[in-house]
Amino acid sequence: MDVPPIDAELALAEVRARRAQVIDANLVPGWFWPSVAVLMLLFVAAVETAVPWVVATGSILYAAGLATTIVAMVRRSRAQVRTTLIGAHGAAAIAVFTLVLVAVGVGLGFTLEALGVPAPATIACVPVAAGLAFGGPALMAYLRRVMLSRPLAGTR
Amino acid sequence: MTQPRFDELIHAPTRLSIVSLLTATDWAEFKFLRDQVGLTDSALSKQLTTLEEAGYVDIRKSFIGKRPRTSVRLTPHGQQAFAGHVAALQQIVARAGLAVLPESAQT
Repeated sequence: MDVPPIDAELALAEVRARRAQVIDANLVPGWFWPSVAVLMLLFVAAVETAVPWVVATGSILYAAGLATTIVAMVRRSRAQVRTTLIGAHGAAAIAVFTLVLVAVGVGLGFTLEALGVPAPATIACVPVAAGLAFGGPALMAYLRRVMLSRPLAGTR
Repeated sequence: MTQPRFDELIHAPTRLSIVSLLTATDWAEFKFLRDQVGLTDSALSKQLTTLEEAGYVDIRKSFIGKRPRTSVRLTPHGQQAFAGHVAALQQIVARAGLAVLPESAQT
């Protein structure tokens, strides 16, 4: 079949556009990150009060809230983006993002506790929550760029 | 390296869209494909049957609770055919010296 070059280029553009469609449909939505950040902050604050009914209420609300956000995300997912599109760079970015947040939270928490600051865990959780709320969308934007830059048909 | 091989079955516009969506996924629901490509259920079924008969896609029907769910995935044979087709398209473009769009994605 004799295909004009412009038609071939348009077909390749279609392939790229469809891949972008899949990626955009699969990225964690923007509302997820601040939701998880707020839930986590409230949970840690509740636990740190050490008041039994506050701890219990906080734990229940946290579990219910987290379950709701995850179920909402899973229900909107109608396609699974090919895992190989994320690649080593994407996986490393996710790992670094997680480790940095954990290190900041734990490190700051212990430091504040050693200094005798009241409610160290809650205070330490604030930058972690901010990191989730603002870093989460940035991570998604990075992953999108990584996935779009992968070869069109050589990712397997 | 993938050998360029133009595939007329994949190149048909609707099927190119469907296979392009599938190649970016491990699996996709029938409804996802229908909504993204903008086809009716019957039109999509027809295209998927053509691709299934060629061994390019695998169609699975299951139940999530009481809801039936049809999911579609590209088979290894379909992935290979798509890779060959993309390589053929890129070869055509390269031979013509066209670079209409930025290409960070060469096979």
